[in-house]
Order: sequence, then C-alpha cells, then structure tokens
Amino acid sequence: MGYARFIVGKTISYVLALFGAVSILYVALFPTMQKVIEASADEAASDFQRTLIKGHSGLSLAQIQASVATYKASYLSAFGFNQPFPVKYALQMSNLFQFHLGSAFFLQAPNGSKQVIDIIVAYLPNTILLFTTGTLLVVAVGAILGLLAARSAGGKLDRSIPIIAIIHSSLPTWWIGFIMIAYFAYSLNILPSGGISSVPAPTGLIAHFADLLSHMTLPLASFFIVNVGGFAYVIRSLAVSTMGEDFVTTARARGMTENRVLFRHVLRTASPSIATQSILAVAGSFGGAITTEVVFRWPGIGYLTFAAITANDLPVIVGSTFILTVILFLGLYIGEMTYGLLDPRIKTGD
Amino acid sequence: MSDKRSDRSYVRELMKSKSGLFGLVLLSLLLVTSLYVLITIPQSEAYKWDNPGAWQGNPVSAPPAWVNYFGEDAPTTVSVPLTGWTQSVSGSIYTYTVTTSLVWNHAVTPSDFSVTPIFNGTAYEVSITWTKPDGTSIPIVLTSPSSDSFYDLTASSIQQSIIPYIQSQTDSYLSSVSPRQELAALFNKGGPSILNDSVEQGTYGVTVQVIAGAPQSVSSLSKLSLVGDSYGSMGTDSVGRPISLGVLAGLPWALEIGIISSIGSVLGGVLWGGLSGFFGGWRDQLMQWGALVILALPALAFLVALSYSTPLTVLNEALIIAALSWPFFAILARSVTLSIRSQTYVEADRAMGISSTRSFFTHVLPRLTPVTIAYTALSVPAGIITAETLAFLGIEQGNIITWGGILNAAITFDASVHGWWWWVLFPGIMIFVASVPFVLVGFALDRIVAPRVSAK
Repeated sequence: MGYARFIVGKTISYVLALFGAVSILYVALFPTMQKVIEASADEAASDFQRTLIKGHSGLSLAQIQASVATYKASYLSAFGFNQPFPVKYALQMSNLFQFHLGSAFFLQAPNGSKQVIDIIVAYLPNTILLFTTGTLLVVAVGAILGLLAARSAGGKLDRSIPIIAIIHSSLPTWWIGFIMIAYFAYSLNILPSGGISSVPAPTGLIAHFADLLSHMTLPLASFFIVNVGGFAYVIRSLAVSTMGEDFVTTARARGMTENRVLFRHVLRTASPSIATQSILAVAGSFGGAITTEVVFRWPGIGYLTFAAITANDLPVIVGSTFILTVILFLGLYIGEMTYGLLDPRIKTGD
Repeated sequence: MSDKRSDRSYVRELMKSKSGLFGLVLLSLLLVTSLYVLITIPQSEAYKWDNPGAWQGNPVSAPPAWVNYFGEDAPTTVSVPLTGWTQSVSGSIYTYTVTTSLVWNHAVTPSDFSVTPIFNGTAYEVSITWTKPDGTSIPIVLTSPSSDSFYDLTASSIQQSIIPYIQSQTDSYLSSVSPRQELAALFNKGGPSILNDSVEQGTYGVTVQVIAGAPQSVSSLSKLSLVGDSYGSMGTDSVGRPISLGVLAGLPWALEIGIISSIGSVLGGVLWGGLSGFFGGWRDQLMQWGALVILALPALAFLVALSYSTPLTVLNEALIIAALSWPFFAILARSVTLSIRSQTYVEADRAMGISSTRSFFTHVLPRLTPVTIAYTALSVPAGIITAETLAFLGIEQGNIITWGGILNAAITFDASVHGWWWWVLFPGIMIFVASVPFVLVGFALDRIVAPRVSAK
C-alpha cells in the first residue's frame, strides 16, 4: 500500500521534473534548435524533390517546385515554425518527446540513415554496455571496500581510502585512459588501443566475446580506477555513521560476529542510502565517462557527440543532449525506486 | 559570539591536521604560481599559441631536455649568435662577414638547421660556408634573401646548395632531398655512404657572408641554429610549442573556473538545500523537485550544446557549471539542516514566536558555514575537471591556453601512438596538481566539521 503510493507520487514528480529539465534545455538551446529544424526541413524537402523527379510523377518542373514548397511549409508548420512562441514550444516539445530530432548535417547511422534518432540508437547500446558494466564493478567493489574499511576504522585500508578518493576527485577518467593506452597498447602492446572490435572481426561466438572483452578492458579499468575510491569513501562514511547506532551495539552485545553485524545489520540499514549514492555517483561521473569514449574511440554516444562537435553537426549535438537527459532521468528514477524498495519505512507506509 | 570563536578554532584545527596543512601550503604555492603566470606571461603568448608559424625554430615533438640524464642522446638546440660583422667593399659590392665555430659532440644529428639573417636593406645573397671537423666545406647560398626570415632545411635555396655536395660524395644523381638527408650531408662523415654514415663529432666552422649592393647594417641578432631533439623541462608538441609554457599558462584559467564555479554552486546549493530542509512541508517538496530538475541535466552535454548558442567565456562557463551542479550540495545541505532543525534551540525559537527567517539566519546558516567552506574546497576540482573536459572536447573560450586544449591536440596528432608521452603526461598531471590542494583542505575541513554538525 505504502509502496504503491510512493511509486505513484515519485513517478508523477519525476515525469514533471523531466518535463521541466527538457524545457530548460529547450529554452537554452532555442536559437540552435530553430536552425536545426529549418535545416531538417530543407533536407526533407530536397529528399521529397528527388523522389518526385526520380519517380516520373509526370509533373512539370513548376508543379514539382510548388509541391516541394508546400511540403516544406507543412514540415515547418508541424514544428510550429512562424507561430507564436507558446505554440512553437508546445509543438516542438511534443516532437522532442516523440524523438523527432531532425536529420543530421553530415553524420550517418551505419545503415545509412541520416535521422538523428537512428544515429543515436545505433551508438547508444555501446555506451550502455560499457558504463553499466563499469558502474556495477565500481558499486560492488566499492561497497565491499568501504564496508571493510568501516569495520576496521583507523586500519590500513581505512587510511588508504581517502588517498584513492583524492585520485577520484582530481583526475579526469579520460586522462587516465590516455595514459593506459600509451602504456598497455603502445608500449607493452598487449591490449587494443581503442575501438570495440578488431578489424576484421574474429569469427565464432567465443572469439568474438573475447575480442569484445579485450577492447573493454582498458576503458573499464580507467573508469574503475577513477571511480572506485570515491564510492568506497562514501560507503565508508555511511557505514561508520550507521555503526554508531544503538542497534549495532546491541547486535555486538548479543555476541554476533563482526562480519555478520556488518553485512546483516549495517549493510541492510545503510542500503537505501547506498542505492541513492550509487545512482548519484553514476550521474556525477557520467559526463566525464562519456569523454572516455573519445579517448578509446568506443563507438558510443560520447564518441558520437565528439564527432558531431568536430563536424559541427548541430542536430546530433542537440539530439544527444536530449537523449542523455532522458537517460540520466531514468537512472535517477531507478535509483529512487530502489531506495523505496530497500527502505522498509516506505513499504509499510510509515 | 560563540560562532566567531569556533570559526577561528576551525582554522587552528586545520593547521594541526597534517594533510590540511600540506594542502594549505600547496594551495598558496598554486596561487603564487598563478599570479606569477599572470604577470610574466602576456596575453600575446596565447594568441601566438594558436599560430603554428610562431614556433618555427623550436624542435617539434621533442622530449624534455632532462631525458639526457636517463641515457638518451637528445641534443638541445644550439643557437649561434652571428655577431661582429666586418665590412669589406669591392667596387659597388658590400660584403659583411662573420666567422664563428661550434662544437657538436653528439652521436646524432640535430633535428633541423636554420639561419635567420637580419639586415636593414636588400641583399643579393647570404652565403654560408659550413666546414666540417675534417676540413670539408659545404657552401650554402640563400639567393635574394629577405631579412628576419627563417631559412631551414625545407628552404629550396638550402636544398639546392646541399644537393651538389651529396652528389659529389655519392657519385649518383639526386633530384630532391629530405631534411634527414641534408642533415646527414651536413654532419656525417664524407664518402660514398655519407647518407648512412655516423656523425662527425668535433668543431664545426661557420662563415656567414651577407652580400649587398649598398651599405647595410647587419644585425647582431642574426643567428644560426642547430635545432635539437629535446626541449626545456616538458618538451614540445608537434608544432614546436613548449608544453611547459602551455602548462603554466593554463593554471590561472583553471583556478578561476574551478573557484568561481565552486563558490557559485556551493552557495546556491547550501542556501537552496538549507531553506528547503528548514521550511519542510510542501515548500521542501517543491524545492527538492526543483533540484531534481537541474540534477537531471547532463552538465557536460548541456554545456556542449549551449556553446553553440551562447559564446563561452571563462566567466560564463564557470557560472553555467555552477548553475548545473548546485543540486548536489542542496541535497547534502538539506540533510544537515534537518539535523540542525531538530535541535532544541531552533525549537525554542519557534516556541518563542521568533520569525522563521530570523531563526534561519541566526541558527541554521551559521551552522552551515563550516560545511559550506568544506564543500567549496572539495568541489573546486570538479569545476576544473569539467572545464578541462570541455576544452578537451574542443569547446573553450578562444585565445586562452588550457590543458584540455593541449590534450585535445595530443589526441588529434596521435601523441600516444608516436610515444610522445610528455605531451600527454604534463597537462594531465597539472589537472591533478591544481586539484589536490583543494581536496586535501576539503577533506581535512570535512573531518573537523562533520562530527560537530552531527553531534547531538
């Protein structure tokens, strides 16, 4: 009962927040967006003209030009061009949420489509593959390290965690990637320097998988090195503050082993905050992490954005910003839901 | 009253903590260095940075000079000033001559050979006689030279002068030469295999003559350079820009962006989160929702997209970073405020009917101050890293030198592929060096502040 209400309330609040965030995006990028729409209309119109001419429609040149002009006008009016701002806002926002992101200036999806959404859909899975794996690694190892450090507060591990955390806050992931490539790929020559698969790609499922793993190793390692310390530090502080609570003392007094206290009582109590923190950590490192793709030429959305910046491909830049906002939202939303699932107070409707 | 005293004791405790003190020392070093940079490196250097032609005469892609202490033989640039010109007149031909010598004691040739003659009129030619230690001379003639120009081995008049010499040694026809072959001709032992032989070590003689049809004043700033294979403390990039200059010049900008963005985001976040936690109820809900809206904007991608509609300057870049990152601190400050709000003195205020605004400013805000300072120190690196990451992606204010920009050039020119480690290493280390003091101070403050806030 309590959890259902929690879900409904949070979902409404998140949907509204997504709407708010995209509105901010829209207003901030307004001039760019108009340029993108106009260019996309031109592109669509010239496509239409080509089909008319190639299709032997039997129309005269003047007729073709007239229908192309009508076509372009109808395209623009679908985006509320030449309309007052509120209409424009409503139409263009609804187009955004239907993923009508226009067509790219230069870039193409592997299947040849110039639609921004097709391009993004082609690149996105690689980003998700790399950073979901990386995040899971960081959360698992970071949580264990943090809890172990909290158990022996003042111990060697406990004292070294702040040092790793300093590395976390002071070094960009992509730079670590740079160094790793120089050392492991070019100096030792044991791992590929970038990309997602060898050229030509190996045949056979196992060989293919091994190839993918070897390409993932360096980007994952840089992501892990930079993020694990900061996360362990957060977990440690959460665990230490929970360990001061009375019920932990009670559990100890009942003669439980320290590991049992730690993993049964402390971890369970701290887990909602850990869930929130992991999501926040991912959200925080997301931006820097996508830059890692540039260094490793990992064909994900970060690499795509870089290619779009280099080529001045505005529609792709605007489109990927929008998609990243949506993804970040999903991440935060999942975090909130996990929090609700883990926190018994919410379940009971307390 | 009591708050003032405790503020001072925070500083004392910070000085007592070893890492905090170390952080403070590093921080002051950083600030002094950045002041030094602002005073000694003029803005014109930044304009020069983007002009590849301005770096002619520096070795390109050269490692730092100190690699020579680690068993490498990477000569540094030898610059021979051409001073003490003597004039001789024969008819209407005025000849100015200078003779000098230099010692080359390396087993490798330099990476380039260049002459820059400076005179105030028009000269027919500049003729250089290059005498090797074994006595062989190679005449090099620059026909109709222009003053203050940089002639190196890619200059056709130098190539045309060296080709006959190589032909005379190898006895075979040569239609064009590469700089590498020219260097071999100038420095290797003579003979049929001159292009592959070893370098002649010893004293080389140089005679330079400027021949003109009218009296000239030939400047003593004229020079001849043997461009080396290593440079300065941090080497050079592929157009010859010294990495050390870039690394220094990037410091003030990095600090400016880091500090402004961190002050902005922490102040904004603490006020927002503090008020939100203090108000409670629907206002708290609404303000939390507001923070969520901003939290969900992907800062980096947003800044990238925004840079196409708003020109980025250092200041507005910092402010936008602040505007996008305050929710993190709002969340933290809100939870701290919740624990302050439940304290008896705040409840006493409410019972006595003191206005909530007043109670916020007298009780909550002062107790948030130490946390605020700790957060501010801790979040400077995030601002620096965001700005450098943007610069790395190619988005930065024009006409400034940034570490991200240097690293962008490094990846564009495949520095890792070629093994030009200095180009990648030093700018990145500077990001670390600029961030670490803030993190050290921040952690130390956090450790001092945290127990007091949560103490019941």
